[in-house]
Amino acid sequence: MVNALDPQNMNSFSEASVSVEIETEDMTLNIGPQHPSTHGVLRLVAKVDGEKVHDVKPVLGYMHRGYEKLAEVRSYPQITTLVNRIDWVAGFSNEIPFIAGAERLMEIEVPERAKHIRLILTEMARISSHFVFIGAYALEVGALTPIFYAMEDRERVLDLIESVTGGRFHPNFNRIGGVKPAAGAGPTSKKNIQDLPAGFYRDTKVAMEKVIQAADQFQNLIGGNEVFKKRTKNVGVLTAETAEAYGVSGPILRASGVKSDLRTQTDYLPYDQFDYDIPVGENGDCYDRWDVRVKEMVESAKIVLQAIDSMPSGPLQAKVPKVIKVPQGRTYVRAENPKGEMGYYIVSDGGLGPYRLKVRTASFSNVSILPIMLEGALLPDLIAIMGSLDFVLGDVDR
Amino acid sequence: MEEFFNNIKESFKETTLEFETINIQIDSTKWIEEHKKLRDEFNLKFFSWLSAIDWDNNVSVGEAPKESVSPSFEIITCLSDLENTNLVTVSTSISKVEPNISSLIDVYAGANWHEREAYEMFGINFENHPNLEKLYLPDGYEGNPMLKSFELISREVKPWPGDVDVEGMPEESESDE
Repeated sequence: MVNALDPQNMNSFSEASVSVEIETEDMTLNIGPQHPSTHGVLRLVAKVDGEKVHDVKPVLGYMHRGYEKLAEVRSYPQITTLVNRIDWVAGFSNEIPFIAGAERLMEIEVPERAKHIRLILTEMARISSHFVFIGAYALEVGALTPIFYAMEDRERVLDLIESVTGGRFHPNFNRIGGVKPAAGAGPTSKKNIQDLPAGFYRDTKVAMEKVIQAADQFQNLIGGNEVFKKRTKNVGVLTAETAEAYGVSGPILRASGVKSDLRTQTDYLPYDQFDYDIPVGENGDCYDRWDVRVKEMVESAKIVLQAIDSMPSGPLQAKVPKVIKVPQGRTYVRAENPKGEMGYYIVSDGGLGPYRLKVRTASFSNVSILPIMLEGALLPDLIAIMGSLDFVLGDVDR
Repeated sequence: MEEFFNNIKESFKETTLEFETINIQIDSTKWIEEHKKLRDEFNLKFFSWLSAIDWDNNVSVGEAPKESVSPSFEIITCLSDLENTNLVTVSTSISKVEPNISSLIDVYAGANWHEREAYEMFGINFENHPNLEKLYLPDGYEGNPMLKSFELISREVKPWPGDVDVEGMPEESESDE
């Protein structure tokens, strides 16, 4: 018999007690659909073995509205109203690729001024979307304060979008061939086509300076926080190879070290006229995904400031027929939205509406990576990983 | 882009370049091997999406095709390369009577959810898919909503095209005053 109290036997005894196998049983954990960190109504069914998560099954469809079917019974101008509501955190940017696709098939050249206004508002939508992420993500990993700052800063940007388009979330501002006259611009006549409200340039400059300051503030407040770093560094690492095979795009792909940005690679808006950086991460962990978005916000603010300074004059609308019929053909236009690659595959048969409209949304592909990323993760990291993907369920379910 | 297009054209017969997008038509029996080739030889590693089109002359929603088409499902995948400059769509046609096609999961893991969506929306059967279940629709839902023959209740109440939304141009709105 081994005497446990004998110092000579101490070592072997403690080793033996560690290797004792305890029989464990998997517990099924149901998260959502009404969990606040799911950004809508996503349900996850996870198996939990102690603190380890495995076999995660996302359950979708709580927000499915069938936009692809609805688009088949609507005319092109009516569809812009629909597409606003796909990713409601950045409503404006959803309109751009759809409108650009219709314009491409109709061979309409959009006036430079309209393109600039589109670009400014798209970047503002990106900034407001990233503010929501920065605030909400801090909340998800346990910091209560930053979301109040983020919401206040976002409101400043939303006010600007509202002053031009009349809507904070669903602007419905683009028209095939250009943009509509701005909401706050006063009466429009043949001689006097006002497009931007009085004081828009001045207010934008102030707001964008504030955005750059806010990003710096968040870098100190959250990014420099030791607890935040511990919770996010080396957590939820995503390799570039996996990301590409799953079609993961946007800031998540860039955080994994792939320098890919559709703004520089395609010409749906005149981004080539401006000077900006594409922030890229190194490790592809939660911290990098957070960091890339904060840096991106600063770059967006820089683009807006440059666009304000170089705003061309001219008309807001190209000549378009009264009844919009898109010629027979098909095209796929993709754009760099705040959450990643968004695109519309338009199959037109020459009618009032598309024969088929495929909506490619960023969050759909980004969420499909969740089962891979959560395999073997610790339970406390589950929300941290999920939150770092920054998805919106309207963008997943469509 | 031009050079890439010429390279692809050597390997794939039915290839067109339109709006900076390369469209490749392939046979549905070569679905897997051609995708493997595009991934490995042409470096198209980014899987963007997979979807289908229901070509049918009898439609209960929207407008029927202007010219008569032979009823079929067209399946489309969209691929791009690492730097996202080359955009390729691959399409194939399968019969509506036996809508079977091999699953792409072994080539592109991301095809999983896209195929599940096409399965529930169109009723296309993806062979060798590990988990071909409904993605969005609730259990017990009958029918495939994206089929052209599937009726939309709201359009039964108010027929297409509803109120046509036409907005006057800024110049024209003055003459209305």
